[in-house]
Amino acid sequence: MVRLWVPKVRESSADEQLELQRKAKGKRPYYFSNPDVDKLLSMIMALTGELAIARDRIDTLERVAAAKKLFSSEDIENFELDAKALEARAGRHKQLLREVNRIIIGELEDLEGADEEDYSAVVEQVESDDR
Amino acid sequence: MSGPYVEQNAHIVLPKTDHDELSRQHFVRSFKEHIVESLHPGLKLAYEKRAKPKYLAKHQHEPNTIQEVADAMKPDQHYQAWSSLLRTSQEMMWSSTQIPVERAITDLAATSTNQMTLGSLSLNPELKIPDYHTAVDIHCQPGGYHTEYIEGDVAQGAIYDRAVYLYAMGQMGSNNADMGDSTVAWLRQTHPEFTPTRILDMGCAVGHSTLPYANGYPEAEVHAIDVAAPMLRYAHARASAMGSTIHFSQQNAEHTEFEEGSFDLVVSHILLHETSSAAIKNVIKECFRLLRPGGWMLHVETPPYEGMEPFDKFLFDWDSENNNEPFWRKSHQLDLKGLARDAGFSREILQIMVPSAFQETQRTNTFQGGDFGGGGVWFVYGCQK
Repeated sequence: MVRLWVPKVRESSADEQLELQRKAKGKRPYYFSNPDVDKLLSMIMALTGELAIARDRIDTLERVAAAKKLFSSEDIENFELDAKALEARAGRHKQLLREVNRIIIGELEDLEGADEEDYSAVVEQVESDDR
Repeated sequence: MSGPYVEQNAHIVLPKTDHDELSRQHFVRSFKEHIVESLHPGLKLAYEKRAKPKYLAKHQHEPNTIQEVADAMKPDQHYQAWSSLLRTSQEMMWSSTQIPVERAITDLAATSTNQMTLGSLSLNPELKIPDYHTAVDIHCQPGGYHTEYIEGDVAQGAIYDRAVYLYAMGQMGSNNADMGDSTVAWLRQTHPEFTPTRILDMGCAVGHSTLPYANGYPEAEVHAIDVAAPMLRYAHARASAMGSTIHFSQQNAEHTEFEEGSFDLVVSHILLHETSSAAIKNVIKECFRLLRPGGWMLHVETPPYEGMEPFDKFLFDWDSENNNEPFWRKSHQLDLKGLARDAGFSREILQIMVPSAFQETQRTNTFQGGDFGGGGVWFVYGCQK
Protein backbone atom coordinates (compact mmCIF):
# COMPACT_ATOMS: atom_id res chain seq x y z
CA MET A 1 0.00 0.00 0.00
CA VAL A 2 1.28 3.43 -0.85
CA ARG A 3 1.40 5.74 2.14
CA LEU A 4 0.54 9.26 1.05
CA TRP A 5 1.29 10.75 4.42
CA VAL A 6 4.50 12.75 4.75
CA PRO A 7 5.39 14.51 7.99
CA LYS A 8 5.88 18.01 6.59
CA VAL A 9 3.99 20.80 4.90
CA ARG A 10 3.33 20.40 1.22
CA GLU A 11 0.94 21.52 -1.46
CA SER A 12 -2.33 19.63 -1.64
CA SER A 13 -4.07 18.97 -4.88
CA ALA A 14 -7.79 18.47 -5.39
CA ASP A 15 -7.56 15.07 -7.05
CA GLU A 16 -5.52 13.47 -4.30
CA GLN A 17 -7.10 12.23 -1.08
CA LEU A 18 -4.67 12.62 1.79
CA GLU A 19 -4.21 9.78 4.22
CA LEU A 20 -3.49 10.75 7.79
CA GLN A 21 -0.93 8.84 9.81
CA ARG A 22 -3.01 6.17 11.56
CA LYS A 23 -0.47 4.55 13.88
CA ALA A 24 0.90 6.54 16.80
CA LYS A 25 4.68 6.71 17.02
CA GLY A 26 5.81 4.56 19.97
CA LYS A 27 5.85 0.80 20.50
CA ARG A 28 2.37 -0.67 21.00
CA PRO A 29 2.15 -2.65 24.26
CA TYR A 30 0.38 -6.02 24.39
CA TYR A 31 -1.09 -7.45 27.56
CA PHE A 32 -2.04 -11.08 27.13
CA SER A 33 0.65 -13.78 27.08
CA ASN A 34 -0.34 -14.28 23.46
CA PRO A 35 -0.54 -10.90 21.66
CA ASP A 36 -2.97 -12.41 19.17
CA VAL A 37 -5.60 -12.23 21.92
CA ASP A 38 -5.06 -8.45 22.12
CA LYS A 39 -5.39 -8.22 18.36
CA LEU A 40 -8.58 -10.28 18.33
CA LEU A 41 -10.05 -8.17 21.13
CA SER A 42 -9.23 -5.04 19.17
CA MET A 43 -10.97 -6.47 16.10
CA ILE A 44 -14.01 -7.52 18.14
CA MET A 45 -14.33 -4.02 19.58
CA ALA A 46 -14.04 -2.48 16.13
CA LEU A 47 -16.78 -4.84 14.91
CA THR A 48 -18.92 -4.06 17.95
CA GLY A 49 -18.52 -0.39 17.09
CA GLU A 50 -19.63 -0.96 13.51
CA LEU A 51 -22.59 -3.00 14.77
CA ALA A 52 -23.56 -0.13 17.08
CA ILE A 53 -23.35 2.28 14.13
CA ALA A 54 -25.61 0.05 12.00
CA ARG A 55 -28.14 -0.20 14.83
CA ASP A 56 -28.00 3.56 15.38
CA ARG A 57 -28.77 4.03 11.70
CA ILE A 58 -31.78 1.73 11.91
CA ASP A 59 -32.89 3.62 15.00
CA THR A 60 -32.61 6.91 13.10
CA LEU A 61 -34.50 5.37 10.19
CA GLU A 62 -37.38 4.40 12.45
CA ARG A 63 -37.44 7.80 14.11
CA VAL A 64 -37.45 9.61 10.76
CA ALA A 65 -40.20 7.32 9.48
CA ALA A 66 -42.26 8.00 12.61
CA ALA A 67 -41.65 11.75 12.42
CA LYS A 68 -42.69 11.76 8.76
CA LYS A 69 -45.67 9.55 9.65
CA LEU A 70 -44.55 6.82 7.23
CA PHE A 71 -44.53 4.01 9.77
CA SER A 72 -43.80 3.57 13.45
CA SER A 73 -41.54 1.23 15.44
CA GLU A 74 -44.75 -0.52 16.46
CA ASP A 75 -45.50 -1.24 12.79
CA ILE A 76 -42.12 -3.00 12.62
CA GLU A 77 -42.81 -5.01 15.76
CA ASN A 78 -46.22 -6.08 14.44
CA PHE A 79 -45.15 -6.80 10.91
CA GLU A 80 -45.58 -10.49 10.10
CA LEU A 81 -43.00 -12.04 7.84
CA ASP A 82 -44.36 -14.65 5.43
CA ALA A 83 -42.66 -17.96 4.80
CA LYS A 84 -40.83 -16.70 1.75
CA ALA A 85 -39.32 -13.78 3.67
CA LEU A 86 -38.31 -16.03 6.57
CA GLU A 87 -36.66 -18.43 4.17
CA ALA A 88 -34.69 -15.66 2.48
CA ARG A 89 -33.60 -14.34 5.83
CA ALA A 90 -32.51 -17.75 7.09
CA GLY A 91 -30.48 -18.14 3.92
CA ARG A 92 -28.69 -14.87 4.60
CA HIS A 93 -28.02 -15.87 8.20
CA LYS A 94 -26.43 -19.13 7.06
CA GLN A 95 -24.32 -17.36 4.50
CA LEU A 96 -23.14 -14.86 7.11
CA LEU A 97 -22.34 -17.64 9.58
CA ARG A 98 -20.38 -19.54 6.97
CA GLU A 99 -18.37 -16.38 6.26
CA VAL A 100 -17.65 -15.72 9.93
CA ASN A 101 -16.71 -19.32 10.67
CA ARG A 102 -14.89 -19.79 7.41
CA ILE A 103 -11.60 -20.71 9.09
CA ILE A 104 -13.18 -23.51 11.14
CA ILE A 105 -15.19 -24.85 8.22
CA GLY A 106 -12.09 -24.69 6.05
CA GLU A 107 -10.14 -26.83 8.49
CA LEU A 108 -12.96 -29.36 8.54
CA GLU A 109 -12.85 -29.53 4.78
CA ASP A 110 -9.12 -30.19 4.98
CA LEU A 111 -9.77 -32.97 7.44
CA GLU A 112 -12.43 -34.45 5.19
CA GLY A 113 -10.11 -34.57 2.20
CA ALA A 114 -7.68 -36.77 4.09
CA ASP A 115 -5.79 -37.45 0.90
CA GLU A 116 -4.93 -33.74 0.62
CA GLU A 117 -1.21 -33.30 0.41
CA ASP A 118 0.85 -31.33 2.89
CA TYR A 119 1.31 -27.70 1.70
CA SER A 120 5.10 -27.97 1.68
CA ALA A 121 4.77 -30.97 -0.60
CA VAL A 122 2.87 -28.77 -3.06
CA VAL A 123 5.63 -26.14 -2.88
CA GLU A 124 8.18 -28.85 -3.50
CA GLN A 125 6.12 -30.08 -6.40
CA VAL A 126 5.81 -26.75 -8.20
CA GLU A 127 9.41 -25.81 -7.52
CA SER A 128 10.75 -29.03 -8.92
CA ASP A 129 8.49 -28.82 -11.94
CA ASP A 130 11.10 -28.52 -14.72
CA ARG A 131 8.88 -29.10 -17.74
CA MET B 1 -22.86 8.10 34.48
CA SER B 2 -25.59 10.32 35.89
CA GLY B 3 -26.85 13.69 34.74
CA PRO B 4 -27.94 14.73 31.26
CA TYR B 5 -25.92 13.67 28.22
CA VAL B 6 -23.43 16.47 27.61
CA GLU B 7 -22.63 16.87 23.90
CA GLN B 8 -19.80 19.09 22.75
CA ASN B 9 -20.55 22.68 21.82
CA ALA B 10 -20.69 22.62 18.00
CA HIS B 11 -18.68 25.77 17.27
CA ILE B 12 -18.13 26.61 13.60
CA VAL B 13 -14.64 25.07 13.21
CA LEU B 14 -15.48 21.77 14.91
CA PRO B 15 -15.25 19.11 12.15
CA LYS B 16 -18.63 18.11 10.71
CA THR B 17 -19.60 14.46 10.92
CA ASP B 18 -22.10 12.43 8.94
CA HIS B 19 -24.58 10.16 10.70
CA ASP B 20 -22.33 7.13 10.96
CA GLU B 21 -19.17 9.07 11.82
CA LEU B 22 -20.97 10.71 14.72
CA SER B 23 -22.33 7.37 15.82
CA ARG B 24 -18.81 5.90 15.70
CA GLN B 25 -17.58 8.68 17.99
CA HIS B 26 -20.48 8.25 20.40
CA PHE B 27 -19.75 4.54 20.53
CA VAL B 28 -16.19 5.30 21.65
CA ARG B 29 -17.55 7.48 24.44
CA SER B 30 -19.90 4.67 25.49
CA PHE B 31 -17.03 2.19 25.30
CA LYS B 32 -14.94 4.36 27.61
CA GLU B 33 -17.84 4.73 30.04
CA HIS B 34 -18.26 0.96 29.99
CA ILE B 35 -14.58 0.50 30.88
CA VAL B 36 -14.88 2.97 33.74
CA GLU B 37 -18.16 1.65 35.14
CA SER B 38 -18.01 -2.08 34.50
CA LEU B 39 -14.36 -3.08 34.19
CA HIS B 40 -12.37 -0.66 36.31
CA PRO B 41 -13.94 -1.67 39.65
CA GLY B 42 -12.86 -5.27 39.01
CA LEU B 43 -9.18 -4.29 39.16
CA LYS B 44 -9.21 -3.77 42.92
CA LEU B 45 -11.16 -6.99 43.33
CA ALA B 46 -8.70 -8.93 41.18
CA TYR B 47 -5.82 -7.43 43.15
CA GLU B 48 -7.21 -8.21 46.59
CA LYS B 49 -8.59 -11.67 45.82
CA ARG B 50 -6.11 -12.99 43.32
CA ALA B 51 -2.98 -11.01 42.54
CA LYS B 52 -1.97 -9.90 46.04
CA PRO B 53 -2.41 -13.31 47.75
CA LYS B 54 -0.32 -14.93 44.99
CA TYR B 55 2.38 -12.29 45.39
CA LEU B 56 2.29 -12.64 49.17
CA ALA B 57 2.70 -16.41 49.00
CA LYS B 58 5.67 -16.08 46.68
CA HIS B 59 7.49 -13.14 48.30
CA GLN B 60 6.30 -13.26 51.95
CA HIS B 61 5.44 -9.56 51.83
CA GLU B 62 2.80 -7.36 50.24
CA PRO B 63 3.62 -5.38 47.10
CA ASN B 64 4.95 -2.00 48.24
CA THR B 65 6.12 -0.25 45.10
CA ILE B 66 4.68 0.44 41.64
CA GLN B 67 7.00 -2.24 40.27
CA GLU B 68 5.93 -4.81 42.87
CA VAL B 69 2.23 -4.16 42.24
CA ALA B 70 2.99 -4.42 38.52
CA ASP B 71 4.67 -7.81 39.08
CA ALA B 72 1.55 -8.94 40.91
CA MET B 73 -1.02 -7.49 38.48
CA LYS B 74 0.46 -7.90 35.02
CA PRO B 75 -0.16 -11.68 34.90
CA ASP B 76 -3.77 -11.19 36.11
CA GLN B 77 -6.36 -11.90 33.42
CA HIS B 78 -8.67 -9.06 34.41
CA TYR B 79 -5.83 -6.55 34.36
CA GLN B 80 -4.80 -7.84 30.95
CA ALA B 81 -8.32 -7.56 29.55
CA TRP B 82 -8.86 -4.10 31.05
CA SER B 83 -5.52 -2.80 29.74
CA SER B 84 -6.07 -4.29 26.33
CA LEU B 85 -9.54 -2.73 26.06
CA LEU B 86 -8.42 0.64 27.43
CA ARG B 87 -5.59 0.80 24.92
CA THR B 88 -8.00 -0.24 22.16
CA SER B 89 -10.52 2.43 23.21
CA GLN B 90 -7.77 5.03 22.94
CA GLU B 91 -6.89 3.86 19.42
CA MET B 92 -10.57 3.82 18.40
CA MET B 93 -10.98 7.32 19.81
CA TRP B 94 -8.25 8.68 17.57
CA SER B 95 -9.48 6.72 14.58
CA SER B 96 -13.07 7.91 14.98
CA THR B 97 -11.96 11.53 15.21
CA GLN B 98 -9.48 11.23 12.34
CA ILE B 99 -12.02 9.92 9.81
CA PRO B 100 -14.12 13.11 9.39
CA VAL B 101 -10.98 15.28 9.49
CA GLU B 102 -9.14 13.26 6.86
CA ARG B 103 -12.03 13.62 4.43
CA ALA B 104 -12.40 17.39 4.95
CA ILE B 105 -8.83 18.46 5.68
CA THR B 106 -8.66 21.18 3.00
CA ASP B 107 -12.08 22.64 3.87
CA LEU B 108 -11.20 22.67 7.57
CA ALA B 109 -8.05 24.67 6.88
CA ALA B 110 -10.03 27.15 4.77
CA THR B 111 -12.86 27.49 7.31
CA SER B 112 -10.33 28.07 10.08
CA THR B 113 -8.45 30.71 8.10
CA ASN B 114 -11.71 32.58 7.45
CA GLN B 115 -12.63 32.36 11.10
CA MET B 116 -9.44 34.01 12.44
CA THR B 117 -11.02 37.38 13.11
CA LEU B 118 -10.38 38.13 16.80
CA GLY B 119 -7.04 38.28 18.60
CA SER B 120 -3.89 37.27 16.74
CA LEU B 121 -1.74 34.36 15.61
CA SER B 122 2.03 34.38 15.26
CA LEU B 123 3.74 31.26 13.95
CA ASN B 124 7.47 30.54 13.94
CA PRO B 125 8.36 27.83 11.40
CA GLU B 126 11.95 27.96 12.68
CA LEU B 127 10.98 26.85 16.19
CA LYS B 128 12.51 23.48 17.07
CA ILE B 129 9.85 21.03 18.21
CA PRO B 130 11.40 19.63 21.41
CA ASP B 131 12.55 16.01 21.54
CA TYR B 132 10.18 15.19 24.42
CA HIS B 133 7.41 16.09 22.01
CA THR B 134 8.54 14.09 19.00
CA ALA B 135 10.06 10.96 20.60
CA VAL B 136 6.63 9.31 20.74
CA ASP B 137 3.16 10.59 19.80
CA ILE B 138 1.73 11.93 23.06
CA HIS B 139 -1.51 10.19 24.24
CA CYS B 140 -1.13 7.97 21.16
CA GLN B 141 -2.52 10.68 18.85
CA PRO B 142 -1.06 9.57 15.50
CA GLY B 143 1.22 12.37 14.33
CA GLY B 144 1.32 14.03 17.75
CA TYR B 145 0.45 17.69 18.10
CA HIS B 146 2.87 19.01 15.53
CA THR B 147 2.46 17.05 12.28
CA GLU B 148 1.28 19.11 9.31
CA TYR B 149 -0.16 17.57 6.16
CA ILE B 150 -1.08 20.62 4.06
CA GLU B 151 -0.51 24.39 3.95
CA GLY B 152 -2.36 26.11 6.81
CA ASP B 153 -3.19 22.73 8.32
CA VAL B 154 -5.44 22.44 11.40
CA ALA B 155 -5.99 18.65 11.27
CA GLN B 156 -4.19 17.73 14.49
CA GLY B 157 -6.02 20.49 16.38
CA ALA B 158 -9.41 19.51 14.96
CA ILE B 159 -8.83 15.85 15.86
CA TYR B 160 -7.64 16.77 19.34
CA ASP B 161 -10.64 19.01 20.08
CA ARG B 162 -13.14 16.22 19.46
CA ALA B 163 -10.95 13.49 21.02
CA VAL B 164 -10.63 15.37 24.32
CA TYR B 165 -14.43 15.48 24.55
CA LEU B 166 -14.63 11.73 23.93
CA TYR B 167 -11.74 11.01 26.28
CA ALA B 168 -13.38 12.99 29.08
CA MET B 169 -16.75 11.41 28.21
CA GLY B 170 -18.25 14.90 28.34
CA GLN B 171 -17.06 15.27 31.93
CA MET B 172 -15.07 18.41 31.15
CA GLY B 173 -18.20 20.22 29.97
CA SER B 174 -19.41 21.08 26.48
CA ASN B 175 -16.30 23.21 25.80
CA ASN B 176 -13.74 20.85 27.41
CA ALA B 177 -13.02 23.79 29.69
CA ASP B 178 -13.12 22.24 33.15
CA MET B 179 -9.44 22.71 34.03
CA GLY B 180 -9.52 26.41 33.23
CA ASP B 181 -13.01 26.92 34.67
CA SER B 182 -12.06 25.21 37.95
CA THR B 183 -8.86 27.22 38.36
CA VAL B 184 -10.50 30.54 37.54
CA ALA B 185 -13.33 29.75 39.97
CA TRP B 186 -10.80 28.93 42.71
CA LEU B 187 -8.71 32.03 42.01
CA ARG B 188 -11.69 34.38 41.99
CA GLN B 189 -13.06 32.86 45.18
CA THR B 190 -9.82 32.76 47.19
CA HIS B 191 -8.18 35.91 45.79
CA PRO B 192 -11.03 38.24 44.80
CA GLU B 193 -8.67 41.22 44.99
CA PHE B 194 -6.39 39.72 42.30
CA THR B 195 -7.25 41.29 38.93
CA PRO B 196 -4.66 40.27 36.34
CA THR B 197 -4.25 42.55 33.35
CA ARG B 198 -1.95 40.25 31.35
CA ILE B 199 -2.29 36.45 31.36
CA LEU B 200 -0.21 33.73 29.70
CA ASP B 201 -1.35 30.14 29.12
CA MET B 202 1.59 27.84 28.38
CA GLY B 203 1.13 24.72 26.24
CA CYS B 204 -2.37 25.78 25.30
CA ALA B 205 -3.04 23.15 22.55
CA VAL B 206 -6.45 24.19 21.09
CA GLY B 207 -7.18 26.59 23.94
CA HIS B 208 -9.69 24.48 25.91
CA SER B 209 -8.32 25.90 29.17
CA THR B 210 -7.36 29.31 27.80
CA LEU B 211 -10.85 30.64 27.08
CA PRO B 212 -11.99 30.46 30.74
CA TYR B 213 -9.33 33.07 31.63
CA ALA B 214 -10.54 35.42 28.91
CA ASN B 215 -14.10 34.93 30.16
CA GLY B 216 -13.18 35.14 33.85
CA TYR B 217 -11.00 38.24 33.46
CA PRO B 218 -12.56 40.12 30.54
CA GLU B 219 -10.33 43.18 31.11
CA ALA B 220 -7.12 41.16 30.77
CA GLU B 221 -4.98 40.68 27.67
CA VAL B 222 -4.70 36.94 27.24
CA HIS B 223 -1.76 35.23 25.50
CA ALA B 224 -1.37 31.53 24.78
CA ILE B 225 1.63 29.60 23.47
CA ASP B 226 2.29 26.12 22.15
CA VAL B 227 5.03 24.48 20.08
CA ALA B 228 2.58 22.98 17.56
CA ALA B 229 1.38 25.11 14.64
CA PRO B 230 -1.73 23.00 13.71
CA MET B 231 -2.96 23.32 17.31
CA LEU B 232 -2.43 27.09 17.33
CA ARG B 233 -4.18 27.71 13.99
CA TYR B 234 -7.18 25.72 15.14
CA ALA B 235 -7.06 27.34 18.60
CA HIS B 236 -7.12 30.80 17.06
CA ALA B 237 -10.05 29.97 14.79
CA ARG B 238 -11.91 28.26 17.63
CA ALA B 239 -11.39 31.14 20.08
CA SER B 240 -12.57 33.61 17.43
CA ALA B 241 -15.59 31.46 16.63
CA MET B 242 -16.46 31.41 20.31
CA GLY B 243 -16.06 35.18 20.63
CA SER B 244 -12.80 35.22 22.62
CA THR B 245 -9.93 37.58 21.89
CA ILE B 246 -6.70 35.69 22.52
CA HIS B 247 -3.18 36.21 21.19
CA PHE B 248 -1.66 32.90 20.14
CA SER B 249 2.00 32.40 19.32
CA GLN B 250 4.24 29.46 18.53
CA GLN B 251 6.76 29.39 21.34
CA ASN B 252 8.41 26.94 23.70
CA ALA B 253 7.44 27.52 27.36
CA GLU B 254 11.04 26.85 28.40
CA HIS B 255 12.26 30.08 26.80
CA THR B 256 9.70 32.57 25.48
CA GLU B 257 10.16 35.86 23.67
CA PHE B 258 8.03 37.79 26.16
CA GLU B 259 9.59 40.49 28.29
CA GLU B 260 10.64 39.94 31.89
CA GLY B 261 7.96 40.82 34.43
CA SER B 262 5.30 41.26 31.76
CA PHE B 263 2.55 39.01 33.17
CA ASP B 264 0.36 38.97 36.29
CA LEU B 265 -0.71 35.39 35.81
CA VAL B 266 1.09 32.50 34.10
CA VAL B 267 -0.79 29.21 33.92
CA SER B 268 -0.53 25.77 32.34
CA HIS B 269 -2.86 22.79 32.22
CA ILE B 270 -1.51 19.23 32.08
CA LEU B 271 1.61 20.62 30.41
CA LEU B 272 4.30 19.73 32.96
CA HIS B 273 3.95 15.96 32.62
CA GLU B 274 4.49 16.25 28.85
CA THR B 275 7.97 17.77 29.25
CA SER B 276 11.25 16.38 30.64
CA SER B 277 13.46 16.66 33.73
CA ALA B 278 15.42 19.54 32.20
CA ALA B 279 12.45 21.19 30.50
CA ILE B 280 10.26 21.32 33.61
CA LYS B 281 13.01 23.25 35.45
CA ASN B 282 13.26 25.68 32.55
CA VAL B 283 9.48 26.16 32.45
CA ILE B 284 9.29 27.03 36.17
CA LYS B 285 12.27 29.41 35.79
CA GLU B 286 10.58 31.02 32.79
CA CYS B 287 7.40 31.52 34.83
CA PHE B 288 9.45 33.31 37.48
CA ARG B 289 11.09 35.52 34.86
CA LEU B 290 7.81 36.42 33.19
CA LEU B 291 5.90 37.32 36.35
CA ARG B 292 5.83 40.77 37.88
CA PRO B 293 6.18 40.83 41.71
CA GLY B 294 2.84 39.75 43.19
CA GLY B 295 1.92 37.78 40.09
CA TRP B 296 0.80 34.15 40.25
CA MET B 297 2.17 30.99 38.63
CA LEU B 298 -0.44 28.18 38.54
CA HIS B 299 0.06 24.75 36.97
CA VAL B 300 -2.94 22.44 36.82
CA GLU B 301 -2.00 18.77 36.91
CA THR B 302 -3.17 15.39 38.07
CA PRO B 303 -2.21 14.65 41.70
CA PRO B 304 1.32 13.57 42.71
CA TYR B 305 1.79 9.95 43.84
CA GLU B 306 2.92 10.90 47.33
CA GLY B 307 0.60 9.52 50.00
CA MET B 308 -1.19 7.13 47.63
CA GLU B 309 -1.52 3.40 48.30
CA PRO B 310 0.87 1.33 46.14
CA PHE B 311 -2.07 -0.14 44.21
CA ASP B 312 -3.48 3.33 43.40
CA LYS B 313 -0.03 4.53 42.35
CA PHE B 314 0.23 1.57 40.00
CA LEU B 315 -3.13 2.25 38.34
CA PHE B 316 -2.48 5.96 38.19
CA ASP B 317 0.81 5.17 36.51
CA TRP B 318 -0.82 3.17 33.68
CA ASP B 319 -0.44 6.02 31.19
CA SER B 320 3.35 6.09 31.61
CA GLU B 321 3.88 2.86 29.73
CA ASN B 322 0.57 2.40 27.99
CA ASN B 323 -0.54 5.77 26.64
CA ASN B 324 2.72 7.32 25.44
CA GLU B 325 3.35 9.47 28.51
CA PRO B 326 7.09 8.94 29.03
CA PHE B 327 7.51 11.70 31.66
CA TRP B 328 4.31 10.89 33.56
CA ARG B 329 5.90 8.71 36.28
CA LYS B 330 8.83 11.00 37.03
CA SER B 331 6.73 14.16 36.88
CA HIS B 332 4.32 12.79 39.49
CA GLN B 333 7.16 12.10 41.92
CA LEU B 334 9.13 15.36 41.69
CA ASP B 335 10.06 17.69 44.52
CA LEU B 336 7.78 20.47 43.34
CA LYS B 337 8.65 22.71 46.26
CA GLY B 338 12.37 22.45 45.49
CA LEU B 339 11.66 23.11 41.84
CA ALA B 340 9.93 26.40 42.63
CA ARG B 341 12.58 27.43 45.18
CA ASP B 342 15.38 26.76 42.67
CA ALA B 343 13.56 28.95 40.15
CA GLY B 344 13.51 31.84 42.62
CA PHE B 345 10.05 31.62 44.19
CA SER B 346 10.32 32.41 47.90
CA ARG B 347 6.70 32.61 49.10
CA GLU B 348 4.53 29.68 50.24
CA ILE B 349 4.35 26.96 47.60
CA LEU B 350 0.81 26.00 46.71
CA GLN B 351 0.02 22.28 46.28
CA ILE B 352 -3.73 21.92 46.60
CA MET B 353 -6.71 20.04 45.25
CA VAL B 354 -9.22 22.32 43.53
CA PRO B 355 -12.79 21.07 43.04
CA SER B 356 -13.96 20.60 39.47
CA ALA B 357 -16.19 23.44 38.37
CA PHE B 358 -18.17 21.06 36.17
CA GLN B 359 -18.78 18.64 39.01
CA GLU B 360 -20.39 21.44 40.97
CA THR B 361 -23.31 20.93 38.63
CA GLN B 362 -23.23 17.40 37.30
CA ARG B 363 -19.86 15.72 37.23
CA THR B 364 -19.56 12.26 38.71
CA ASN B 365 -16.32 10.60 39.72
CA THR B 366 -14.80 8.84 36.78
CA PHE B 367 -11.43 7.23 36.41
CA GLN B 368 -9.87 5.41 33.51
CA GLY B 369 -6.11 5.17 33.59
CA GLY B 370 -4.25 7.93 35.25
CA ASP B 371 -5.47 10.95 33.35
CA PHE B 372 -8.02 13.28 34.87
CA GLY B 373 -7.05 12.42 38.36
CA GLY B 374 -9.87 10.21 39.47
CA GLY B 375 -12.46 12.82 38.70
CA GLY B 376 -13.89 15.64 40.71
CA VAL B 377 -10.68 17.49 41.57
CA TRP B 378 -7.64 19.03 39.94
CA PHE B 379 -4.22 19.35 41.48
CA VAL B 380 -2.90 22.89 41.39
CA TYR B 381 0.77 23.67 41.94
CA GLY B 382 1.98 27.23 42.05
CA CYS B 383 3.35 30.21 43.84
CA GLN B 384 3.00 33.96 44.02
CA LYS B 385 6.11 35.92 43.07
